[in-house]
Amino acid sequence: MNAKIKETLLNPIFKGNPITVLVLGICSSLAVTVTLKGALVMSLSVIVVTGVSSLILSLLRNTIPSRVRIIVQLVVVAMMVILVDQVLKSFEATYAIDKQLSVYIGLIITNCIVMGRIEAFALGNKPWPSTLDGIANGAGYGLILIVVAFFRELLGSGTLFGFDILNRFGYVTNNLVILPPFALILLGCIVWLQRSIQKDLQEK
Amino acid sequence: MNTNSNVYTVIYTAIIVIVVAAVLALVSQSLKGRQEANEKADTISQMLTAAGFGTKAEFGKMGNAAVIDKYSAEIEEAFTVGIDGEKKADLPEGKVFSPKELKALNYIIKDPEKAEEAALPVFRFKGGLTVVPIYGAGLWGPVWGYIAFDESLTIRGAYFDHESETAGLGARIKDDPSFQARFAGKKADFSAPERSAVFEIVKGGVSGEDGALDNKIDAITGATMTSKGLDEAIDTWLYAYGAWFNAIPASACDIQGESCCCSGCQKSCCASCPCEKCCTSEDCTVSCGPDCCSEQCGCCSDNCCETKSEEE
Repeated sequence: MNAKIKETLLNPIFKGNPITVLVLGICSSLAVTVTLKGALVMSLSVIVVTGVSSLILSLLRNTIPSRVRIIVQLVVVAMMVILVDQVLKSFEATYAIDKQLSVYIGLIITNCIVMGRIEAFALGNKPWPSTLDGIANGAGYGLILIVVAFFRELLGSGTLFGFDILNRFGYVTNNLVILPPFALILLGCIVWLQRSIQKDLQEK
Repeated sequence: MNTNSNVYTVIYTAIIVIVVAAVLALVSQSLKGRQEANEKADTISQMLTAAGFGTKAEFGKMGNAAVIDKYSAEIEEAFTVGIDGEKKADLPEGKVFSPKELKALNYIIKDPEKAEEAALPVFRFKGGLTVVPIYGAGLWGPVWGYIAFDESLTIRGAYFDHESETAGLGARIKDDPSFQARFAGKKADFSAPERSAVFEIVKGGVSGEDGALDNKIDAITGATMTSKGLDEAIDTWLYAYGAWFNAIPASACDIQGESCCCSGCQKSCCASCPCEKCCTSEDCTVSCGPDCCSEQCGCCSDNCCETKSEEE
């Protein structure tokens, strides 16, 4: 693995994380982080959508007329989102979780990370690095989602992946944590933490 | 090639759109069967949960095939009734109503001109349980569910689902078993003059005096609009079923046989009745002791017990 590919893969996970550094995809990270299971399925869906649409659009990049490139991107991303939704609905194991995530799967299309990475990376790079970039950005998004969901499910419902954890000790569920504002507070704390570690992100 | 010419742009976008449409149509068609099977199993598990044959989580772990087996083992008959209370037709075996079908029915029963045409589904399970659906509008999207009544038309259980109510607030109609448990033991007022009085979900809690009325339950804190929407849905649908519930047809009585005495239905529909007087639900103030006709009557009036003891 050469240095450039390594950089493409690792940069979005921490240093250039789409949520905490680029501040993209905030709304869905507030909405789907009530339970860990939901966050996990959402992360995997986003990884698939960003990865595959980056690949397809990178393959097409030299043929796309530049005046309609956003529309072409939109069509491809929309197709991927619908496919992911349809597949989730088709399996017994994921049907219930798809129902729980409801509109948010469909709203992956409005997730700025997807279009942002295609526009910024996939249209100017070869298919293989573009796919990796898509997957890595999806994973960076997913990582934050899972961290937020971990705290929200644990402190909100007292469970993890639906198993009783704090509940066993008579923990009273906390509605503030279940509601979206707490996700924003948590995200704020994560951004704070990251900026105090990574000094170069701080504005002068 | 000039990728910026108008002709190229038009042809390019047309091809992209056609290819994408073809892929989506193909996938949608090939997965349709699986998706419908999942939705059906989900609907069935909602009905079984309402009727108290298990919890939704248990059914979720069982898998589709086991849920459908359980349903076939417990269902007695399924048919449709009109708003006039007359039975319309038997439903084909295994037929259930998806939220989409309930939505279509909801439009019909709310439209005074079309309401006559409505064919409302009734599912009768073993143990004298009758399960009926409800459907309406919550805060962000539709809410629907199933309510199970026992022979005395007391609510045995309920299960509700929603499309997009707020997690932790309105979504509690689905996620909070303690909310659904509030329905158990309540009754719907099928002879209510107004639709809105059939059942009530009360904001601010059911106080002592209200508590005596058994068609009221406490609403969900922080989810006023969802509670109202659910209340409206229950009112609309149970009002439509009112005529049928008020005059449970003779065919239903045959099934109930002897045990139907004193359990809220007409005495005339019992094959033989061990009690002298058949009590209606209004008469029920006291539960009978073991030496009275308590085996037959879940609850009966003093009158019933007296007549019985005089006879002995």
